[in-house]
Amino acid sequence: MNFKIYTVSSLNLKIKNSLESGFSNVGVEGEVSNFYCHNNRHLYFDLKDDNSKIKVVMFYEAKKKLGFEIEDGLHVLLSGYISVYEKRGDYQLIALDAEPVGKGSLALAYEQLKIKLKEKGYFEEISKKAIPVIPRAIGLVTSTGGAVIRDIITVLSKRFENFHLVVRNVSVQGLSASREVCEAIDDLSEFGSGTGAGVDVIILARGGGSLEDLWAFNTQEVAQKVFECSIPVISAIGHETDFTICDFVADIRAATPSVAAQMVICNKSETVKIINSLLDRIKNNLEKNLAKSRQDLRYLSDRRIFKKPQTILINFWQGHDAARKKLADGAKLKIQSKKSAFGALQILLSEKPIIGRIVLNKMSVNNDLFRLFSGEKNKLESLKNRVGILLKDMDSRSPVSVLQKGFALVIKKDNEKIIKSIDDAAVDEQLQILLKDGILLSKILEKISKKP
Amino acid sequence: MEKEIKEMSFEEALLKLETIVGELEDEKIELEESIKRFELGVRLSSHCLAKLDEAEKKIEELTRNQDGKLVARELKLDDL
Repeated sequence: MNFKIYTVSSLNLKIKNSLESGFSNVGVEGEVSNFYCHNNRHLYFDLKDDNSKIKVVMFYEAKKKLGFEIEDGLHVLLSGYISVYEKRGDYQLIALDAEPVGKGSLALAYEQLKIKLKEKGYFEEISKKAIPVIPRAIGLVTSTGGAVIRDIITVLSKRFENFHLVVRNVSVQGLSASREVCEAIDDLSEFGSGTGAGVDVIILARGGGSLEDLWAFNTQEVAQKVFECSIPVISAIGHETDFTICDFVADIRAATPSVAAQMVICNKSETVKIINSLLDRIKNNLEKNLAKSRQDLRYLSDRRIFKKPQTILINFWQGHDAARKKLADGAKLKIQSKKSAFGALQILLSEKPIIGRIVLNKMSVNNDLFRLFSGEKNKLESLKNRVGILLKDMDSRSPVSVLQKGFALVIKKDNEKIIKSIDDAAVDEQLQILLKDGILLSKILEKISKKP
Repeated sequence: MEKEIKEMSFEEALLKLETIVGELEDEKIELEESIKRFELGVRLSSHCLAKLDEAEKKIEELTRNQDGKLVARELKLDDL
């Protein structure tokens, strides 16, 4: 037998060495499947085309340099070398780099991060904070070298002349840009809350540029920082047509930096107008209400009982007098008739002295008189009572009569408002106590509530 | 008053002012109550107006000094 005998290990090792030297630098294009990533470190997957597939490993060192994420179904161009996993005798491609096929890796990374953060709920309206109408100070993260800061200051000056801007200068592109933007957000948060400078809102601003130029605002770290920032953030990156990840995460997106300046603070003169018009409406309403109350009062005071109380009394007195006259006349008449009847009776009696009948007739005369008098008397009493009640009623409605009864009225010294509750006056406050014969100027020593 | 007017933010005071205007215009309110609302409205609106003038115009740049402390210094831009 003319062949060399190997152990399994030594054969696999020899194959490994041969493959590694023979395929030390290869590129291969295909679709990712069976993707698996252990503990967010090494990546394992198959790369396949219509007829074939090859096992692929991408170690952590290579993976962390990728801008996008490998996932099933993705069409990629891999570069690396072929090696053998000796334990199983599997050969595999050790991928050192990957490129998406069909679109740029940045575009892919952008899409992937957008989907990922959306799923995490970073873009939800519910987590967006409201922008204050008048921020005490406005934080601005931008490059002080660019035109952006000038645009912003120009707009702010027109809207609200006494604005307070705190700028944190950063590189808005390049390798360190996303880290600098994150630090700037931290610094403004720390400064804004620490010294009472009151940075109530932060604008992230950058002029237009390519996807690469705007990249710092498409990174996960900036997105994370904006999402976690306790101060509301306005994202104003690039032109109107540029949408960055930061735009989606921010509490509000401004199409351009100038628009951000319009959003960040109210227009002062317009706001003053609004406040004044509200004040006018309150004034008008009060005047209307006052006029209505005056009218109500006039309507009441125009009523006869208040205008000419005597006319009502006169009516009653007239009624009273008439009743009296009727009573007197009636009595006179009745007495007259009874007198004549009595006279007749006397004549009759002198002729026929029967004691029992006289007594009987006397009684009947007395009864008649009694009935007559008591009836009229009752009528008069009830009339008197009615007048009395009416007078009392009128009287008791006047605050003056309340004072006559011994009650007091307490009013504020300055505006003469009536004190109805212990809440209406303060301790040490001077009050006036109105009594029937004058005013006592007094001072509150203590408030004692009825409630325990 | 549930919250002292002087403690209110601009937004709170403006919102309260708008509420008062709405109440005065929509509801039947006793004269005494409408005078109270009027007084409150006047105080709220002057608070709002004061808030607008509260800030002082400043353009500052935030940097760290040698000790690593954050300091805000006036920012001068050439053509502003």
